[in-house]
This record gives sequence, C-alpha cells and structure tokens, in this order.
Amino acid sequence: MTDDAQDRLAAEYAMGLLDADEAALAEALLADDPVFAGLVEDWRARLLELDATAPAEAPDPHLWSRIEAGLAQPAGAGDGASAARTPIAPASPPAVLGPDAPDITAPIDLAERRRARQQGVGLWRAAAVTATAAAVVLAVALATVIRTLDRAPVLVTVLLAEPGRPAAVVNTFPDGRTELVPLTTVDVPAGKALQVWTLYDRERGPVSVGLIDVMRSIELGLEGLPRPAEDQLFEITLEPAGGSPTGRPTGPILMKGTADRAL
Amino acid sequence: MAGPACMLPMRRLQTRAPEPTPEPAPEPIIVPPPVLSSSLPPKGDQGLASALGRCAKGDAAALRELYEAMAPRMLGVAIRLLRRRDLAEEVVHDTFLAIWQKAPGFDPARGGAETWMFAILRHRALNVLRGEARSDLVDDFEPLALVADEPDAEAIVTALSEAGALRRCLERLDPVRRHAIVLAYTHGLSHGELAGRLGQPLGTVKSWIRRSLIALRECLA
Repeated sequence: MTDDAQDRLAAEYAMGLLDADEAALAEALLADDPVFAGLVEDWRARLLELDATAPAEAPDPHLWSRIEAGLAQPAGAGDGASAARTPIAPASPPAVLGPDAPDITAPIDLAERRRARQQGVGLWRAAAVTATAAAVVLAVALATVIRTLDRAPVLVTVLLAEPGRPAAVVNTFPDGRTELVPLTTVDVPAGKALQVWTLYDRERGPVSVGLIDVMRSIELGLEGLPRPAEDQLFEITLEPAGGSPTGRPTGPILMKGTADRAL
Repeated sequence: MAGPACMLPMRRLQTRAPEPTPEPAPEPIIVPPPVLSSSLPPKGDQGLASALGRCAKGDAAALRELYEAMAPRMLGVAIRLLRRRDLAEEVVHDTFLAIWQKAPGFDPARGGAETWMFAILRHRALNVLRGEARSDLVDDFEPLALVADEPDAEAIVTALSEAGALRRCLERLDPVRRHAIVLAYTHGLSHGELAGRLGQPLGTVKSWIRRSLIALRECLA
C-alpha cells in the first residue's frame, strides 16, 4: 500500500500527468528519496518505447550551430538553473533540480550541495527511504485542497521525521504566506509543545515561526523575516509548553527539511 | 463494432458457398503506422552513456554525436507533444544545452542514457505545453479531436514493437483506457483534457489511469 501510493505518484509524474501541486511534491521527494527516484526511473524506462513511435523529423540545419553557439557555458557549470533558463518557457520557473534535471540522476553538483548543507545530519539524509503511504496520500489530498483554493505554492518543504518518512509539508505561496500542514500526528508529552523554526541566516540562527500543542495546520509567523528562499531550513522541535525558554531550539528535532522550488 | 466472434461464422458460411467471387481477405485496412525511426540509436545505450561521459569532460564533439543520434527522434517527440515545429525545435535546442550542462550528473548506474535524455526533453516540452496552453481544459470538448485521436492512439500502439512487452500489455487494457494512457503520454494530455476528449467525468478518467498504470506495471513486471 505504501508502495502503491508512491508508485502512483511516480507513474503519473513520469507520464506528465501531475498538476503543479503534486508535481512539486514529486520533485521534492525525488530530490530526497532515492527509492522514489528509482520508481520514477522504472516508469520512464517502461514508457520510453512510446517515444520511439514518433516519426523522426530532421531538424532545421541551423539548429546545431545555434546549440553550438550556446555551449559557451562550460559543461557542468553552476547548477544550471540559471544557465539553462529557457527563453521559451515563460510559465516554467526552474524546477527543483534546475530547469528540468532528470531527477533520477540528480546532478553531482546538486547532490554535493545537498550533502554540504545537510552535513552533520546524515541521519536525515537517508540512503533508502520509503515514505509512508499515509503520508503520501495525505500530501496528495493536501495538494488537492490547495488546488481547489486556486493557489499553488512556489516553495515546498517536506519535513522528514526520519529518512523517508515525510511528516509535514511547509508551503510558501507567491505572496510569501507560509503554512505548515502536518502529514502525521506526533505524541506530545504533557507540558510540552511543538515549536516550528526556520533558518534563513546561519549567523542569526534558527528563528521561531510557530508554536503548537498538537500537529495541526497553521500559518507560520514569518512577518518581518526575509521571504523564504530555496534551501531554507524548516524544523520542528519538542519544547516546553509555551515555547523554548532561550529563544533557540533546546529540545530534540522531530522533523526537518529544506525548501525546494515548486515547478 | 462487432467482435470477431460474431464475424467468423458468417464468413465460414460464405466461403462454403460455391465460390462466387473470392472473398477478399478479411484484413482490415490498416493505415500504415508512422515510420519508426530506428528504435535504437546507432551506438546503443552504452555508446550514448560514454558520449555523455565525454560531454561531462567538455568534449563538444561528443555532444554533436548525441545530437546526430538523438535530435531527429527528439524533434519528432516534441512535435507530437507540442504540435508546433518552431516550439519543438526550441525545446530540442534547450534540451541539448541542458544535456551539456547536466552531463556531469549523469550516472549510468541509476538509469539509461536514453531515458535520461528523453526525460529532459519531455520535461521541457511539457513545461512549454503547460505554459502555453494549459488551463482547465475540461470544457475543451472537441468532437473532431475525439474522432481523430482514437485512430492516432491505436496507430501509436501498432507502431510499438510487436514483440515488445509494452505493446502486449497495452493491448490487454480496455481500448478506451489504452487510448487515455497513450494520449496522455504521447500528446501530453492532462486528466482534464482526457476527460473532455473521452467524454468521461474527470474522476472516472483519473481512476482509469490509476488502475491502468497498476495493470501495466504488473503486466510488465
């Protein structure tokens, strides 16, 4: 069942059938979940033969010289997101892995970037991860809710409770509004609370953006903070009721994740 | 249309008659499937992978090789998705620049070279398709397109290798569901567009697709 929910998402992603919300979720999972990436790769390989049925067409003779002229960028330079920005895809903001990285094969530079930013918390970066079916189903349901409200997030952060177990999603909307949506429940001992933090500036350190007694959807208090950006960290720690006495996280991290750009 | 089961007895009766004019072979008239470009690139997937490896080291000649091997097929796929040659050429253009830039990230252990490159192409083409034309197209019911799509979907299936598992497994699906899968993949139709084209409620189409994909996965396992 777990596998079915993930595989459904992977299949429809490979088919190109996901709407923007679900595609953003798929991209976020692809970036962090090698198992999910493997499912997508399997589907791409299964369906590839259909692409061979398109009649081949000779390209315009000048096409190659135009490509050649565009090679000024050294191979593998940068993260490609800006370098390869297409001039003809007005409504396609860079995807999670650059404009269209085949996520199965997340570019090395990206993998390294992720590794670097998650150093010291290798625990969170799992080798094999299998999102729970419930989580994915809920996330998909969530995506539906978001769609019906006619607003799509520009940034999506999947908070993992442990490798491969999405526990919550943080959605940032075009106007900067950011909401936390739980995908699982969390046992909160008496006298404790859940505190939501974001890290947008290492020098400043984590900033509290929400305090809840149980996992529930809330709008995060980002007023006065810079608008969330790609790779910004969100996490939830267990703190004394009323919030951390120090203004910094003091309890265990229950879940965390970094923001990915939605498609 | 009547199934072959109903037709056969009739035919037997006719052929037993004192042979008037020879009955034309019961072959249906088949529109020849689109010419299949060689389904394998000249160099095979390993050759493509090694060319990607050379691209990663900055060897532009390797990209040229990939272009020679892949561009015509990629353009065909992009034209089928976008229905506009100019947009399709732009997508191919951008795809090769992206291949050049992302080649260092290609890992043959994680997937095929051809799959990797087509994933880039399809992703770009679908982005363009959505950027240019996507909105809620449930209302975009076009009876003419409906008529035109079905033979097209069937021709695509027919163009698949007869020996291949994908064709065998697609043919096991109910025809309407098969059309839905094929049209979604090859023409980039969304759930909503499929619902419009097939004259079915959105929820029905979504559930068809889900179940058909599960059936395909099991059949292809």
